[in-house]
Amino acid sequence: MAGQVGGTSEYNSEINVTPMVDVMLVLLIIFMIVTPLLQQGVSVNLPRDTISPDEDADIAKDTSVIVAIPDNNNFYIGKDQFPLDQLGDVIKRRMEGKVPEKRIVYIKSGVDVDYGRVVSAIETIRRQDIDKIGLVADRKKGGEAPKPQ
Amino acid sequence: MGMSSGGSGDGAKPNINVTPLIDVLLVLLIIFMVITPLKPSRFEAKVPAEPKEQQDVNVKPNPLTLVVAISKETKGITLNNEAYGDVSDPSKLNAKLAEIFRERAANGVFRENTNEIEKTIFIKSPKSVRYGDVVKVIDAAKAAGASPIGLQIDDLTD
Repeated sequence: MAGQVGGTSEYNSEINVTPMVDVMLVLLIIFMIVTPLLQQGVSVNLPRDTISPDEDADIAKDTSVIVAIPDNNNFYIGKDQFPLDQLGDVIKRRMEGKVPEKRIVYIKSGVDVDYGRVVSAIETIRRQDIDKIGLVADRKKGGEAPKPQ
Repeated sequence: MGMSSGGSGDGAKPNINVTPLIDVLLVLLIIFMVITPLKPSRFEAKVPAEPKEQQDVNVKPNPLTLVVAISKETKGITLNNEAYGDVSDPSKLNAKLAEIFRERAANGVFRENTNEIEKTIFIKSPKSVRYGDVVKVIDAAKAAGASPIGLQIDDLTD
């Protein structure tokens, strides 16, 4: 019996893939759950690989006003779509009671949007007495912001 | 033999195999490490006040004003009407602006009534240019140290 066990043909050369599959499945599930949660508002093809934008944790806050322009025809604030002429009122309402330093409207615009559409959104924002705009962009990974000389 | 293997040791060993657990936890750890530094970032831009009607046409232009314009047809970049590359490669603009700011720092060119070096630039682009190209130019200017960045949004051409 012992001889039989010790000498069963050759060594088993198959890799046990079960743990790997386990880990992969867990990864898959995590990404499936996390991805929609991470995204706030609509998805926009932001400018990527820029070198010098400043980090701003306020963008992720619920109270900040973000105008998303995914394409040439639509404007969103948060997840809700608004026509251009209503944009001003919504921004005004959301900006009420903010201290002057926090009076900034973020713009998340897709790279293929015409600059004119962005400008028309900025014009609307300006009419609400806001002169600061944050143009949201993805910073290049590992890119160090150059120090202002 | 069967007996001895079945009854080997003193009772069952209560060891749990923790290796898969550790595997999963490590993976989780790595995922969070990757996700956390993805902080959102933005370019801060200022918008000039809405022009009033009947504005004084004879305002003396500030000689320190730097206007970066993008051409619609050629996608070329101009700085105060001098060409510096195009939107596919704004590094010339970046180098020139950095040089201007260095000179200003050396000569002590300050913004009026302050002790900050004047680094204001204005971005002017036709409306039909892709937003991505405008951001590229803003990025190059910001990397050179320009601040604040003003977006000229009045009287733009198509």
